[in-house]
This record gives sequence, C-alpha cells and structure tokens, in this order.
Amino acid sequence: MEPQSNAENFVENGSASDWIHQHSPRSLWRLVFREDRLFLILSVFIGVFAGLAVVCFRFAIDWSRLYLLGTGAVLTPARMLLAPSLAGLVIAALVIHLFPRARGSGVNQTKAALYIFNGNIPFRTAIGKFVTSALAIGSGHSLGPEDPSLQIGACIASALGRKMRLERDRMRLIAPVGAAAGLAAAFNAPISAVLFVIEEVIGRWTAGILGSVVLSAVSSVVVTRWFLGSESLFRIPPVEMKRPTELIAYAVLGVAGGLASVVFASGIAWLRPIAKALPRWTQYLQPGVAGLLIGIIAVLGAPQVMGAGYEYIDQAMHGQFTWKFLAILAGLKIVATMLSFVSGTPGGMFAPTLFIGAMLGAAVGGAEHVLLPHLAGSPGTYALVGMGVLFAGFLRAPMTSVFMVLEVSGNYSIIVPVIVANTFAYVISRGLQPTAIFDLLTRQDGLELPSMEEQREEDILRVEDAMQPADGPVLDAEKTLDQAVEALHSEIEQVLVRLTPTGWGIVSKQQLLTMASEGKGATALGALLPIAAVPYLHPDHPLETALRYVDRWPLVPVVSRADFQKLEGVLTQRYVLERYREFGDG
Amino acid sequence: MASHAIARYRVYLRQRPVILAAFTVLAIVLFLAVTGISRAHQGQRHSIGERWFNRGIADLSAKRYKAAVTDFRGALLYSPDEYSYQLHLAEALIGEGQPGPALAYLTNLWEREPDNGIVNLELARLAAQRGETELAIRYYHNAVYAVWPSDQEGRRRDARLELIELLLGINAKAQAQGELIALAESVAPDPVLQERIGELFLRAADYEHALAAFNTVLKSDRHSVPALAGAGHAAFELAQYPLAQLYLQAAVAANPNDSSSAERLKTTQLVLHMDPFQRQIPVSERDRIVVRAFQTAGERLKICKLGAVASGAKIGEPPLADQWERLKPQITETGLRRNPDLVERAMDLVFRIEREAGARCGMAQGTDLALLLISKMHEGS
Repeated sequence: MEPQSNAENFVENGSASDWIHQHSPRSLWRLVFREDRLFLILSVFIGVFAGLAVVCFRFAIDWSRLYLLGTGAVLTPARMLLAPSLAGLVIAALVIHLFPRARGSGVNQTKAALYIFNGNIPFRTAIGKFVTSALAIGSGHSLGPEDPSLQIGACIASALGRKMRLERDRMRLIAPVGAAAGLAAAFNAPISAVLFVIEEVIGRWTAGILGSVVLSAVSSVVVTRWFLGSESLFRIPPVEMKRPTELIAYAVLGVAGGLASVVFASGIAWLRPIAKALPRWTQYLQPGVAGLLIGIIAVLGAPQVMGAGYEYIDQAMHGQFTWKFLAILAGLKIVATMLSFVSGTPGGMFAPTLFIGAMLGAAVGGAEHVLLPHLAGSPGTYALVGMGVLFAGFLRAPMTSVFMVLEVSGNYSIIVPVIVANTFAYVISRGLQPTAIFDLLTRQDGLELPSMEEQREEDILRVEDAMQPADGPVLDAEKTLDQAVEALHSEIEQVLVRLTPTGWGIVSKQQLLTMASEGKGATALGALLPIAAVPYLHPDHPLETALRYVDRWPLVPVVSRADFQKLEGVLTQRYVLERYREFGDG
Repeated sequence: MASHAIARYRVYLRQRPVILAAFTVLAIVLFLAVTGISRAHQGQRHSIGERWFNRGIADLSAKRYKAAVTDFRGALLYSPDEYSYQLHLAEALIGEGQPGPALAYLTNLWEREPDNGIVNLELARLAAQRGETELAIRYYHNAVYAVWPSDQEGRRRDARLELIELLLGINAKAQAQGELIALAESVAPDPVLQERIGELFLRAADYEHALAAFNTVLKSDRHSVPALAGAGHAAFELAQYPLAQLYLQAAVAANPNDSSSAERLKTTQLVLHMDPFQRQIPVSERDRIVVRAFQTAGERLKICKLGAVASGAKIGEPPLADQWERLKPQITETGLRRNPDLVERAMDLVFRIEREAGARCGMAQGTDLALLLISKMHEGS
C-alpha cells in the first residue's frame, strides 16, 4: 500500500485505532504469508532442498561407481560383468519390497502427482529413487541421473507443501516446481529445466506458476554450483557454422536423429510390455540380466555404454572417436538403455538420449566430412546439435531441446543448425511414432494423464466457429424510437443496440413497443431505454470464453477488434452448444 | 493442564512462520552437512586423481605412452578441468601417435591460458607436423614469449631453438638469422649453447655471427674440436683463408675422421697456394702460379667443353676456348716476366672460365674450386 493512500485513509477515516488495527503485526504477517507469496517463498526452499539432494545424489552415484566399477578409466572385464548384474539383483529386491514407486519415469510420476494425486508423492519414493538409481547408474546400467533428480525434487516439494498445508490448487502445482528444481540441478541448466517442466509436465504458462518454477530452478542451480562448480556437463569445443550450405548437412542429421528416435521409442514400446508380462518372479532377475547383457556389450569393446556416459560425450565432441565407432556406440547405447529401462531398473533416459544424440551427431558429421568435406563442420558442433536432435525426436520436447543446446554450449551461433535439425527430427518422429514416449509409458502403466504434445496440437474451437449473422436489425442509440420500431421484424425478440462510443446493449422488442405506445416515438433510443450493456466477444476468442456469457445474455455480439462498432456476428447459447455437439461428433 | 499446553504448543508449531523458520534452520543444517560430505568427496576424488596422475607421470617418463594415456584419462575422471592432467594427457597422446585428440585437448588448454608456454610449444610442434608452417611459427613465437612454470629462460630459449630449426628446415634463412641474433644476444656465454648457436648460424649462412659464437666457445675451451671445425668453416665461408687454415688444421689434427673439415682444409690450402695476388710472394712464384692456374682452367675448359660464347659476354667477344687458345702461347713464365700485364689478363680469363664452368658443369672440385674461390675473393678488386 502506498504511503499517500495510507495517510489519506487515516485522514478520511479519522480513526487512529482503525489504522493501527489495519497495520498491526498480525495483519502484516497475513499480508506477507498470503498463499501466493508463501508459494513463492516455498519455491526457494524447494530449490535449496532439491539442490542439496541432487548434490548428494551425484556424490552417491560417484561413490557407487568408485566402489563397484573401480577408479580407473579402463574397467576390468570382471567388474564390467559383475557390477551391473549383481547391483541389478539388489536393486530388484529393493524396488519390489521397499520402494515400488522408484520404478518408472519420474516425469510421469510428477504428472500423476499433478493430475491425479493432488500433488502428493510419498517421501519414501525420493529415498527409493535416490538409493536405487545411484546404485544402478554407478554400477553401469545405461541410465541417467536427471529423471531421478527431477523426481527427488518433486518428492521434496510435495513433502514441504504437505508440511505447509497448502491449498489444494497450490499443492497440485508443487510437484512440478520441485521437478524443475531437481532437473535444473541435475543439468546445471535452469532455463532448460523450466522450459521442460512447463512444456512436458504443466503444459501451460501462467505468471504464478512460472515465477515459482523459475525461483526453484534458480535456487537449486545456485546450490549445485556452490558445491559442484559452474562448469557445464561437458567441455564445449569451439562451435561455429561457416557456410549456410552446412544446413543441408544438419538437415541430414535431423533425419537420422528422427529415425533413431523412432527406433529407440518403438523398441521400448515393444519390449516393456513383454518384460512386464513375464512371471512375477522374473522381476527379481530382470535388472540383473539387463546388467549382465550391458556388461557383455562393455566387455566386447564398448564400455562407453555403461552409466550416464558424460565423459564419452565429451570425448566425442572433441573428435576422439572415428565416425564408424560413434555410429556403433549410438546403436549399442540404444540397446543398452532399452535393456536397463524395460527391466524396471530405476534411472532416467535424459543422459542416454544425450549420449545417443551426441554419438549419432558426431558420426553423421564425421561421415559427411568424409563424403562431402565442403558441407560438414566440426564433429563437436555435430555432437552438440545431435544431442538436441534426440531430445526433440525422442523426448518430444522441441522447445527445451533448442534451449538446452544453447544453454549447455553458451553459443548462440549454433541456433540455426539446432532449429533446422530438431525440426526435422521432431516431424519425422511424430510422423512415424504418433505417441510420445512419456505418454506411451503412462498408457502402458494404465494411467491416462494429459498428453502435453496432444494438448499443443489440439484443435480448439473459437467464437468465429459458432457465431451466426445477426437475425434482426442493429439499432444505433441516436435513432428515434419510431425509427427503431419501423425496423423491427415480426419474429425477433431481442434487438442489439450500438451504444456510443464503444459499447453494445440489448433491448427486447416488447419494451420498444410498449414505449412507442406511450407516445415517446420521437425520442432517441439512447435517452429513453433502460438498455442493458452486454459484453462482447471477438471472433478469435476461444469458444469456451463465450460459455461465461451465453447463459446470462440471450444474444452476445461478436465485434471486430479493429472497429468495436462493427458487428461480425452474434452468439447464443444454442449456437455454442450446437457447435460443440458438431465438434464432438466430428 | 499438561495436555492443554501440548495442544497449544502443537498449534503454535503448525503456524506457517514457525514452519518456515524450521525450514530455514533445516536448510542451514543440511547445507553444513552437505558441505562436510562434499569436502570428503572432493578429497577422495582429488587423492584418486593424484594417484592416477603420478602413475601417468611415471609411465610418461618411461615412454609407456599407452599406459600413460589410460592413467591420465583416469586422473581426469576425478578432476576433469585440472590443467596439468589435460596437458600431460595431450603429451601422452602425442607420444602414442594420436595427434588429433591431443590437439583437441591442447586447443582447449590454449583457450584457457593463451600464454602458457608448454601448450604453445606442443601446439607449434603439432602444427609443424601437419605442415601448417605459419601456424607453427605463430605458436613458437607465443612459446618464446610465454609464461613457463620453471626455468623460464631455458624453456624460452629451447622454444626459440626449435623455431630456428623449423625456419631452417623450410629454408627461411633470413627469419632464422633474425631469431638467432635475438637468441645469441639473450643467452649467457655457455660453451655448449654457443657451439649450437654457432652451428645454427652456419646453417643460416650467417658466418660472421657463427665465427663469433665459435670464438666465444674457444675462449673458454681452445681445444673444442666442434668449435674449431665450426670456426674454420665460418672463416672459410668468409674467405678468411689464413684464419680458416689455422682452425681447420687444429680441428683435423684433433679429429682426423672429420672428413668435411679435412676437405675444407685442403681447399683452403689450395686457395692460399694458388692465389697469385697474395702479397709478399716473389714474382717468379707468382708467374708459376699463374701458369699453373691457366693450365688448370684449360683442362676444365676441355672437360666441360665450353665452346660457346660465355654467358654475359660482350657483343662480338669470342668464345672462352678461343680466347684461351689465343692467349695460351703467351702464358709462360718467360712471357709473364717479359709482360707482367699478362698476369691480370690471364687470371681474368681463368676466373671467367671457372665461373662459367661452375655454372654449366656443376660444382668445381680441388684446384678448380680453389680458383673459383680465389675469383670470388678478388671480385670487384
């Protein structure tokens, strides 16, 4: 409240005690802890706690790796075979007996919390996800820490929200706020995390949600950077696009990425129900068998597929592999990640997606460099663009994919190649695999959560789809009552009146005729009538906006945005309902 | 009463400000706890990284490059941004014959520290290997003026020496001379170093500075065989034949296997014996030298078959063979004693024949070479 208005209030009211009462510590306290402000404050706490949890999670993964796979860059065959398979057996037991909710995608569980469980996620899920994912990733299962981090963040947020006894609407949104914090801390990239949560979990932009999500993401990144430093996940090589013709090469990468995304997603979609349909006792063995198969892949010459694989993304970016080996690695990582994921081993698919994208990108770049040297840029640039390509094609988060690459690389000169390649990948992936991976997993789990992609693509009805031309005359307020009566038809009941300067009104035929019979025919309509002002709509308004008015007003004018006096059509409740019925039938 | 107090206490605890205060306290406590965990984690990683690094250093010293690469990669797992780890990995990769990945690491390091001497030197070497000479020279220059972790002067000097070798390798002698002069001015009169500088000056065809460098060496060790040979070579090229003879004699005496010095000494002695324009030689001796030189030139003329007109001859001038034939009857000791002006004419023709033969029939040897050198010595006089 402004000081001047306070003083004015004081003078006007003339009561010191009232003023003191209005500004007492209790009322100030209430002002500060209003639900929306409290939500913002809580977002900061969520960010801090999620950041701390993710830092510990990273340490746990690291320790798990050190003790299970050894300290060296080259792993021994025995460890490569035993660590993921034995850890897989332990993880299976933990998941089945202690942490059943640790299995599955954190993104979907956060969405379920938002849409089904009113924001409630048991805190035990966070503990389970923390322990089992750290063990899985550290032992070499082909999974990443981002999705578990996201879920840990969501669990923490849910716990804090419960403790704070938030209202139901706020409580529902608390899980995505925590998810953004967890993902931002895991990626060390707050913008991408915010975009991902908005794009894939919440699905809508509003100032209230955005503020909380941003605050939590930024807080968690600050905490993570405090402990882990501000370095990016990989060393980014010099990135540049020398010639516009290189865009052709990036388009080829987009096509390859789109196809790889389809293979990856289809593989999971096909294998996961098969694995789930196996007898229950096999669930004790599935993560172990998956771990053993990954170990065999590693022993046969591709240890790079084990774990999250960020160090190998780094090496691919710096041209340390041949393009043929990079292509093989991309293929093997798809297989290894499918094995780990469908076996129910907790862990995320963000890091494997980035890995596959980087390898595929660098492979395509390397091949193009051999075949068409004048078209291709550096392998590092291709690897970076490739990561975005798989993100767009597999995770189906086109906006996040672009910003993630920009945020990770810190180089905006790469934006055009990223957009070109991601668009190709996204379009191809959508064309060949209509259901996005997160929606597919949800449906396989028997849930029907809203699909953000489908929401984005959904046709919405607008006012122009239901409006009809006005039946009766449109009267100007300057006209006399006699002129108005002359213009009336026999069938109409209600007449629209154009008020000056920009309003619209409505009057019944009966009222006009009554006043005319009272001898007021020479008087202007505007001066005579108890004309009720009606709200008006524009043709581009969503049709659901009209629902607010059509039950209260028999006729709602639809006017041009350029000229509010120009009537484009009218809406009635009947028109709206008929349009909805036609849409539903269609 | 007590239950009432507890209920009131619980109500108080459910107040949002109290919960927020509790969150704040919890955040502080967790922050401190994570700080402790983080330190333990970092300490462990650091010590594992150090262990791999030390193992890598040992492997690198023993030229076990493959093992060193694995070790340094292991070290980098724990400190990915550690400058020295990356640098040593790059060196191991170069040793293992993987210049591509090494270049990637070095470029990254260069971006972090553009004035790091080791990085610039390694980048220069890689650029030189790839034949990117200009880039190599630029990196070498950076290395020469860069910051070095220890023995700054020595490392800068070594970098400049490598640069000079590169310049000499591509026959950029003028640039090499410039670098050598700068180097010679900046180094102490260390005999070993001066000897190397002298040799480089010789290769860069800067014989005066070469002689000076070798003289510096000889001041501290007058029996240094390489310095004697080098000084003899420099003096020889500077046409200071008496001095060259002194040095070369000493060099050959000390090392009879030094065939190039022996050859050069022989030529020097021939020059000294066959120069008719030396002061303080008797006329009869001078005439005898002229007659012998004239005959040598005649032999060269026949072998080389120089029948045509000499290049650069005046219009209407007869071929060298005709001129020689025409002058031959007069070039005897008696003829020269009778007409001393013939000495000049005879030697002028001898020099022209030797130069022409040298240009057309290849490098002269023995007495022909001596005559050619004498002609160069008296050019313009």
